[in-house]
Amino acid sequence: MRSNNRTRLLAAVTVVAALALAACGSDDDASSATDAPTATGADAGADAAATATDPAGTEVATTDAAPADTTADSTSDSGAPVEAPDTIQIAYQQVPNGDLIVKNQGWLEEAFGPDVNIEWNLFASGGDVNEAVIAGAVDLGLVGSSPASRGLSTGIEYTVPWIFDVIGAAESLVATPDITTIADLEGKTVATPFASTAHFSLLAALDDAGVDASTVNIIDAAPDDIYAAWTRGDIDAAYVWNPNLAKLIAEGGNVLITSADLAAKGKTTYDLAIVSNAFAAEYPDAVNVWAAQQDRAVQLINDDPDAAAEAVALELAITPEEAAAQLGDLLFLTAAEQVGPDYLGGGLATNLFAAAQFNKDQGTIDTVQDESVYVAGVDDSYAASVGQ
Amino acid sequence: MLSGQGRSTAKAGRRSSVWGLRFLTLGLVVGLWFLLVELEVWSPLILPRPSSVWDAFVQSVTTDGKRRGLAGYFLWEHLQASLWRVLNGVFWAIILGIAVGFLLGSSWRIRTMLEPLVSFLRSLPPLAYFTILIFWFGIQDTSKIWLLFLAAFPPITLATMNGIERVRTDRVDAARSLGGSRLQLIRHVVLPSALPDIFTGIRVATGFALTTIVAAETVNGLPGIGGLAWFTKKDTRIDVAILCVIVIGLTAILLDQLIQLCERAFVPWKGHA
Repeated sequence: MRSNNRTRLLAAVTVVAALALAACGSDDDASSATDAPTATGADAGADAAATATDPAGTEVATTDAAPADTTADSTSDSGAPVEAPDTIQIAYQQVPNGDLIVKNQGWLEEAFGPDVNIEWNLFASGGDVNEAVIAGAVDLGLVGSSPASRGLSTGIEYTVPWIFDVIGAAESLVATPDITTIADLEGKTVATPFASTAHFSLLAALDDAGVDASTVNIIDAAPDDIYAAWTRGDIDAAYVWNPNLAKLIAEGGNVLITSADLAAKGKTTYDLAIVSNAFAAEYPDAVNVWAAQQDRAVQLINDDPDAAAEAVALELAITPEEAAAQLGDLLFLTAAEQVGPDYLGGGLATNLFAAAQFNKDQGTIDTVQDESVYVAGVDDSYAASVGQ
Repeated sequence: MLSGQGRSTAKAGRRSSVWGLRFLTLGLVVGLWFLLVELEVWSPLILPRPSSVWDAFVQSVTTDGKRRGLAGYFLWEHLQASLWRVLNGVFWAIILGIAVGFLLGSSWRIRTMLEPLVSFLRSLPPLAYFTILIFWFGIQDTSKIWLLFLAAFPPITLATMNGIERVRTDRVDAARSLGGSRLQLIRHVVLPSALPDIFTGIRVATGFALTTIVAAETVNGLPGIGGLAWFTKKDTRIDVAILCVIVIGLTAILLDQLIQLCERAFVPWKGHA
């Protein structure tokens, strides 16, 4: 008798637990549930309004009224509604560029209206974004040129519609004071996050200085861990980006070479946008609208650097002065500048192909595709549509 | 009742059918994999061909120009580095775990004070406190061995504690009545009686340490099989990821079998007393 009741109780608890788990699980699933997007779309609209009235936001909003771009966008919006899905999944990273300004100011939410939910998902690296694209969880995202080249080489189905920035002094090789040239790095320990633009730049720097990379003990660590290792004296040098780059320099590190120097030697690195081919095929106008907002962000960086620095500072939780300094270490290109043959019109594809070949020579990637794959992987039509 | 010889042939028969069943299951799993790939249910980026995984294995043991193995090291170098860290961590966990477990099992005061701490440590996911260990011990092997030690320590301690508590009092009384001193009691009655439980704790701890190896090798994890698995995240090589999973799994089974062998050697009375 008693065991019967106990069995019934156990069965009841199991059923309740299963129901609770099922109910909680469906709340998170934004892409499949048809009811959720409209509700969350309204939320996103409210969020956008909230961010627009931020202390920095109000200041920016008034200055935005001046450039001609914004009026062009709103008429194209209110005139013919842009075809867009219920949710746009955006993969962003903590890089001080126009993408963070677009996010902070809520320009995408503004351009697409309350019916479209813009989902901003934070990723720690380009490799993670690549992973998520394969899993079908990213429509638009940010990857460094190294992960982008890897992705195209591996056959990930995405295209580059926009160059967020050309990496300048934002990534540099920093060494302890006793090391003064790259040749001194032979036999030393250098840390860098593997498969990143910094890793690529490190190999390029060693190659340029005639140092065999196998004689250097290159170890893989995330930027925060690199800083920890530096303070303990575990490493002799590191190729890394801000904010940890600034911390290493403050601790007495000296810069041996920057990505700007390497760009001058032909080993340019970029922060690139990617759009999944499926999304671009189905919603090309949406990508045009997205590109227009990115161009607006670059215009803001050029015309009102203080406002841009404030928006970036809010997103990265740093001071506007630090944000301004970090923005200064990257090169930003407007849509008109990007469309030329140096960049989206051909130069970038050549760079991605060359990067893949270099990586293959270094033994860090497996296959290099035919050059046509990289050419097809860069699409200048979206940047070309801006301002038209 | 089966005669002695009859029982051993029956046992041998069952042993061969055990291995037969195991190979059959393995064959079915691999067969299903081939089928899914042939039917192209998922893209090769998500479910790679068995041949790609085999190619990855071949790459891991060969050089090609500047490429040396996978991620710059051969597969045995990765395994050796990981096993070195795991064995170091588990070794110290055994020494200290048995010592602390013995203290917990023999004194109710110590148990009341320390057991909550050990249980707390057991419930922490290793990745949560790994950053602290890196700041304290750096990014070389020391912090990794500490992480594996902290992962392996609680199961051994608690198993030892349980083993000590479950020692049958009539055995202890019998030894005492024969004039045994406290030290003799511990050496000849208490510890041997607790050994079966201690070995179970060691098996659990080693398994847990192996699952923690990927967490331990997220920072400066190369060479290391966990570091290689983590590296596939950046490199988008799912064939290498599956290779790592297979290798880690096989290593875990092998280590477990080894511990069971030791157990049969050191604790022949298990299950018979």
